[in-house]
Amino acid sequence: MQRRDFFKKSLAVAGAAAVGSSLEAASQPKTGQKVSNVAFPQKRPMITYSDRPPLLESTRDVFSQAITPNDQFFVRWHMPEIPTHIDLKKYRLEVNGEVERELSFTLDQLKTEFEPVEVVSVLQCGGNGRSAYAPIAGGIQWGNGAVGNAKWKGARLKDILDRAGLKHEDFWISFYGLDKAAYYKTPNFIREMHHTELDDHVIVAYEMNGEELPYLNGYPVRLIIPGYYSDSWVKMLSNLTVTKKYQELFFMDVAYRVPDNATESEEPGSHKKIKTKPITTMNVKSMIGYPDNGTKVYLNSHLTVRGVAFDQGKGIKEVSVSIDGGKTWEAAILDDGKHGRYSFREFRYTFNPSKYGEQKIMTRATNLAGEVQPLAEEIGWNHGGYKYNGIDIVTIEVV
Amino acid sequence: MVKYILVAILAVLPLAAQEVKEDMQVPYIPYEIKMGEHFDVIQSQCLICHSFGYMINQGPQSKAFWAGKVKKMKVAFGMDISDQDAVSVTEYLFKHYGNGKLK
Repeated sequence: MQRRDFFKKSLAVAGAAAVGSSLEAASQPKTGQKVSNVAFPQKRPMITYSDRPPLLESTRDVFSQAITPNDQFFVRWHMPEIPTHIDLKKYRLEVNGEVERELSFTLDQLKTEFEPVEVVSVLQCGGNGRSAYAPIAGGIQWGNGAVGNAKWKGARLKDILDRAGLKHEDFWISFYGLDKAAYYKTPNFIREMHHTELDDHVIVAYEMNGEELPYLNGYPVRLIIPGYYSDSWVKMLSNLTVTKKYQELFFMDVAYRVPDNATESEEPGSHKKIKTKPITTMNVKSMIGYPDNGTKVYLNSHLTVRGVAFDQGKGIKEVSVSIDGGKTWEAAILDDGKHGRYSFREFRYTFNPSKYGEQKIMTRATNLAGEVQPLAEEIGWNHGGYKYNGIDIVTIEVV
Repeated sequence: MVKYILVAILAVLPLAAQEVKEDMQVPYIPYEIKMGEHFDVIQSQCLICHSFGYMINQGPQSKAFWAGKVKKMKVAFGMDISDQDAVSVTEYLFKHYGNGKLK
């Protein structure tokens, strides 16, 4: 991964040198979007891109704390028909396919028949920050707020599968949710993973930050795959099907994929068919929660910048801050990491703005594997606009 | 006796703890949409599966992009649309939500 990031940087620089700076593939994602004046169930008003299916984004201020409140947690569905009521007397999680015993669990059984485990983990849409890409990549033009971090509690997927008994050592598992397409010919949103991608941290969660999951975040249970983008964290999970072979599914073979090359990027507008791969694990990233663009502060006031940093679970080593446009960087104070390696780490950095006018604040995360958050302009373009992780920049006004 | 009552209460708790007991209403958001030629096709086809917000929040795009989206809806998602209507939808989207570029 370190090696890949190195190539990513060197290629981007080479590209810029050869053709000039006009080839910059990414800048900052859009910011400062207004929240809707209408609140969705169990949510505060959020940035609302669509009501059907619901697409809700968190505002920047949410990212100055490690745990994202349930009522401000982003929402992304693919299918328009989402159950707005679940009758727990009827709800079952089914386990079937290539298993010794086909099983069916009520929510209560999931809670009582398996050891409850907790994991604090970031949940991030693969398209988070897509609006940073130029030319505009296909898909919803998310700012930086299609991400959140919560304490999830549930049963280990492995324990559930062990109960059913696996027929083969090598297997795939597909995940079905209760959301449905409006039209019978539309493929439903089904995801699948190879068993080697599933470890003890993967859970079927029935609790989010000590409460039941909000409906829009997948009540009554959803899959939690720490370190991975949220495309396979199936909501309103209803079915686990074990298969010997990979099934060809639209939402696996076409969606949520990036170019299968070292930089995971491609030439915009080339329209060439290229080999792709699933987006899988998250790259290293920090985001500023406070201040926001346009925030006014007094000269020489003690300004405390706050934000969060995360990666795929290798662990955050450092967040540095630059207040001189990236010339020099200084380490921010990181929290104690008590929430574990899959969680947001809070950081803070206090300084005295010493010049009137615009003041740029940049934050850059580095993980324990030595992977460094790149500048936006170092990130190569991909047609789906996935995996944006540019250095976050906020410009305030010193008065 | 007290012990039995406690056990009885605890056994009822998981059901009683469910916070939402009735159907929820997901609000309708009236996204502002541009009127123009072929809007009737947009209304009858696109809204079956998604809101106007889903379309207009893709950002201004090329004609090839919009044609690709319409093709995806037809081929991958099974939209039942004639070739002529598919062209109309593309033209509408490119005219009102295009970036001026063919590719």
